[in-house]
Amino acid sequence: MPEIRLEGIRKRYGSIKAADDLELSVKDGEYICLLGPTGAGKTTALRIIAGLTEPDSGKVFFDDHDVTDMEPEDRKAVLLSQSYSLFPHMTVAENVLFGPNIRNWSEEARIKTLANMLDLVRLTRRSDAYPKELSGGMQQRTALARALASGAEVLLLDEPLRALDARLRISLRYELRSLAKSLGITTIHVTHDQDEALVMADRIAVIRNGKIQQIGTPIEVFERPISPFVANFLGQSNFFQGSVTYVNGRTEVRDEQGRTVAAGTANVEVGERVAVGIKVGNTEITKEHDGYLQGIVERTLFEGRDVFVDVMVAGLGRFSSRIPAGRSGEFSVGDKVSIDWSPEKATVFRLKDRSLDDELRVE
Amino acid sequence: MGPSMKRTERLVNFVSGRKFRKSWYAFIIAFFLIFVILPTVYVLTYTYTQWNAIQSNVLDNKETVDMILGAIAASFEIAAIVTIIDFVVGLPMAWMLVRKKFRGKNLLDTLIDMPLAVPTAALGFSSAIFWAATPSAMNAPPFALGAITSPMLLIILLHIVFSYPYMVRSLAAILEQIDETYEIAGQTLGASKLTAVRTITLPLFRAGLVTGIILCFSRSLSETGGTMIALSTMANSAGFNTGPTLIGTWKKLSGSNPELIPQLAFVSILLIIIALVLLVILKLVVMKVRLPMGKIWPTPEKILSRGLVPKMKDGFTVLFLAFFILIPSFFIFSFVATSSAAVGDWGPFLNSLGYSFAIAAIVTVIDLALGIPLALYISRNPSKKISHSLDILVNVPLIVPTAALGFSLGQFWTDQSLIPSVPTLLIILAHVAFTYPLVVRNVTGAMEEIDPSYEETARTLGAKPIQGFRRVLYPMIKSSILAGSIMAFTRSLGETGATQAVVSDVVTAPVYIVQLVNTNQYYLAGLACIILIIVSYAAMLLLRYLTRRKQGAL
Repeated sequence: MPEIRLEGIRKRYGSIKAADDLELSVKDGEYICLLGPTGAGKTTALRIIAGLTEPDSGKVFFDDHDVTDMEPEDRKAVLLSQSYSLFPHMTVAENVLFGPNIRNWSEEARIKTLANMLDLVRLTRRSDAYPKELSGGMQQRTALARALASGAEVLLLDEPLRALDARLRISLRYELRSLAKSLGITTIHVTHDQDEALVMADRIAVIRNGKIQQIGTPIEVFERPISPFVANFLGQSNFFQGSVTYVNGRTEVRDEQGRTVAAGTANVEVGERVAVGIKVGNTEITKEHDGYLQGIVERTLFEGRDVFVDVMVAGLGRFSSRIPAGRSGEFSVGDKVSIDWSPEKATVFRLKDRSLDDELRVE
Repeated sequence: MGPSMKRTERLVNFVSGRKFRKSWYAFIIAFFLIFVILPTVYVLTYTYTQWNAIQSNVLDNKETVDMILGAIAASFEIAAIVTIIDFVVGLPMAWMLVRKKFRGKNLLDTLIDMPLAVPTAALGFSSAIFWAATPSAMNAPPFALGAITSPMLLIILLHIVFSYPYMVRSLAAILEQIDETYEIAGQTLGASKLTAVRTITLPLFRAGLVTGIILCFSRSLSETGGTMIALSTMANSAGFNTGPTLIGTWKKLSGSNPELIPQLAFVSILLIIIALVLLVILKLVVMKVRLPMGKIWPTPEKILSRGLVPKMKDGFTVLFLAFFILIPSFFIFSFVATSSAAVGDWGPFLNSLGYSFAIAAIVTVIDLALGIPLALYISRNPSKKISHSLDILVNVPLIVPTAALGFSLGQFWTDQSLIPSVPTLLIILAHVAFTYPLVVRNVTGAMEEIDPSYEETARTLGAKPIQGFRRVLYPMIKSSILAGSIMAFTRSLGETGATQAVVSDVVTAPVYIVQLVNTNQYYLAGLACIILIIVSYAAMLLLRYLTRRKQGAL
């Protein structure tokens, strides 16, 4: 299965940069998630890899072969669109056999492939059904079987789970990933759902405004985000802005009102303007001791296993904290609380001349 | 894999190459521009090259100018009235066909298309016998209405007969694509049925409305054969002319009197220019102007949505179809049945019939072969400026009255020396020019509704573009291709105006019928009409049957 490499890909639609010097490399057999907000250029990247969109400049490589000008049908890179695009006038079996028929496989090979694929996606009994007679999950599996039956070496999934209901979506995550991994297919999965990306990907590439912001394993990207955007997009963060007052083993930052907070080590200098990001899961609230910041509980949101407690901090805005549901009784609206965190769980981002709002904006 | 398989594969590979595709599309666009658009508007250059002749032969002669302007005004008045009536009665019919389930729906569906199978020459004869006060020599059946004495009214009634199916089909085609859930959503939000339809569904099918209006308007504006026959059938049509009948008459005379060329050019130029201006206005008005859809009258609309009113509307719709469309179309049968038989020579008619069929078949094949690719190009490159311009240009031959088009095209091909002006070739070229847009329009219309992701997915699954078309796209747009080819075929078969205007002395079946009526051979004309009707209808059924069966592999 091929390695995929994008070099300096640019693509504009009018004034919108859908790909802005996009660089990405995907290893042989890797399952990568391209994660980003709507309009970040995820689908464009996928279409360029599939050969359906021509980049304005830049190159696409499959295993060091330049495929930028190659026709889509010669790339063995199958795109699974959001709506699956099952051919409505063909049955499940005919859909699955579309690739083999086009490529003129022998009768024997076709029969074998069909049986294998239907078995793989557990649709043997529905092989004569038409797409509109199938449930969403079955349609999705048919599309997958069709992609795999065509001899695909690269699987390009454009929000493949989007149209499914929540429970099915979650169970299919594991199924989809293990199927791709067991066949060793190089997979690029586009999604805007961070949970999906965290669970499914070998590596996550976070994309914004047509550029890859960060690429790494789910843990790396989650725990060590390189920008406020990534920190906030994966697992929602609280931010504190100020100037660095102390660096040595840990970093201390003070804002204009004189509040000082501590964060982990960072490559910054005293006096530099920075933002400190703390994941909501690492933000503790307490009534027992004084933390870095003081505020008043504004609301609590019950989400099953967890409870989100939103605290209004004067002059700073809302800080959220995720605590286990068992502790939900400790706080009620109007309570005065303290906000605290372990310094090593807080990340420092250099802001240079940009504002935090720009950094966080989701177009 | 056999050797023939190998050969097919090589062919598929060859035509899928980027170079081939590029040059193929360039060829298609060039064909369209040189063989369709250019000849259609060629006569406009006469305003520059032949102005002196036009000045001295036409403009300096007040009588001629009045005659021309009167005829053209009549043409546009008729077309406007016909289109409005078509819309008012066609919309409820389209609605019934798409949204309602009832017994006999299939029958109704077939009945709508019946007038399309009848060449307009036959329609003209048939309607005139039914409606108009006819000369006593004719022996119209005693149960014919025989009431209409105004030529204008007769022509309006006639034009409704053959333009009505176009309106119903265009509206139904778009209606079918509009999801009913929008309307249901509107109703759950508190709108009455009528309000929901008026404010939600109607604005959504503006595109279909434009197509319907363009088709009806241009059909009415173009029609020559049926109009001429109807006028000569009625007792007293003294001097009434439409633009196209004027061209038909003068072209025939121009054989012996070349002095008439400037007159012909002048009528054609006027018809073309006014038609094009109207096309632009129509596009702008219907697509750009926001209708006051926001205004809602809850109580009256609620009353109109329930009880008797909708039932009466449906009843009226069906009655209209029967009385104004079907009876006039087929009244000819009763005429032939009640008149006393006259003996005549069938040879010329059968020859002309064979000739017409051959032309219609060749024309349809050319339309399909060169029209579908253009439609694909237009709908798959919507962002490119060129496809946008092509999309607009396609309408030009549709809206230009065919008699003017025929005259222009005839002049174009005789004024140059590249292609010999063989009459048959000229007729084929003329018929291609005005039927080609029918195929392109139908196919682009269908393509717009189809998500490009089907073809894209097919390509990532390994299909070459041509395979993707054959296996994925073609099955989805098959019915539109069929509709386009039926329209093209029957239009070519029934066309009189363009044929007469290109070459004055070639006799196709409708031209022959016009001649029969002009020489008072009514019985023979009636029989000829019936044969033409039966043969066209059979051809239509055959075409349907063939396209349903043929689903082999590429």
